[in-house]
Amino acid sequence: MRARDNPFRTERVHQVRYRLLDGTWGEVMRRLRELDYRAAIVGPDGSGKTTLLEDLAPRLAKLGFTTRSLFLNDRKRTLGPTERGEFFARLGANDVILFDGADLMGRLAWARFKRRTRGAAGLIVTSHRSGLLPTLIECRTTPELLDDIVVQILGDGAGLGELPHRLFEKHQGNLRDALRELYDMYSATAPATDAR
Amino acid sequence: MSTLKIGTYENRTAFRPGAEIAGKVLWILDESAKAVEVRLFWYTEGKGTQDVELVDSVRFDDPPRREQREFRFTAPEGPYSFSGKLISLLWALELVVLPSEETERLEIVVSPSGHEVFLHKGEEIEITDESAGQPL
Repeated sequence: MRARDNPFRTERVHQVRYRLLDGTWGEVMRRLRELDYRAAIVGPDGSGKTTLLEDLAPRLAKLGFTTRSLFLNDRKRTLGPTERGEFFARLGANDVILFDGADLMGRLAWARFKRRTRGAAGLIVTSHRSGLLPTLIECRTTPELLDDIVVQILGDGAGLGELPHRLFEKHQGNLRDALRELYDMYSATAPATDAR
Repeated sequence: MSTLKIGTYENRTAFRPGAEIAGKVLWILDESAKAVEVRLFWYTEGKGTQDVELVDSVRFDDPPRREQREFRFTAPEGPYSFSGKLISLLWALELVVLPSEETERLEIVVSPSGHEVFLHKGEEIEITDESAGQPL
């Protein structure tokens, strides 16, 4: 199967947005306001932290905030001096910073970062562990959630039986890895030229 | 919602490197826009991070609410349109209204044969159907 035809290609998976397992978006936004828009989304790999952070952006924009995004990951573990300089030079009082992977920062760098962002309207981060900021949501996953996502991607009535549950267990709840394995399984179904 | 149309002359969707990619765009805007842009770009789909590269564009500032304009690009030397199991590289033309970002897209193929290149076992490049007869 051609990559572009694979139903589990990244672009398709990214169209699946965060699903709250507990509560409502109204409650999330209320709690965020109570926390003065300084909060952490906490959870293990593949639990939807980044997706949730992305999904907060339009909701914050509706409230009149400007969102500013930053990220760190395994391949980019620090903010370079240029990126940092440009970021702080343009940081305004109406800005809410959405910082994905903040726990990859060293303790000292994080303390400095927090101090320098005091003038912003908010700072929302994702982290594998609690403690950077008050926790807004602890992301978690369930086998049923993976099942629902698979059905959403493949279309109604196109579930894969017990397979999502098995992949959920195999990847210990990491939905990203489970969906990547489904990509591999689909890519092996037919030679690339068959899809032409 | 605005009406946006993008088309190439003779409805061609396959272009050899160096060939002219030309056509017309039409827009009927619901509200006034800052600009309308025609973009030639490639992007990837598949497993992993998506790459996108804008190769050329033409911009019409302060566009009237209803207009038809010509565009003309040159198909670059590469990369070719291709698909493997891990990644596909696709070329497209896009008509974009700014700042609303309303968009109309036309997928095209850029390759020496006029067909998408398929990567087979071992990810070796094979150009299929060299003489497919499409006038390029």
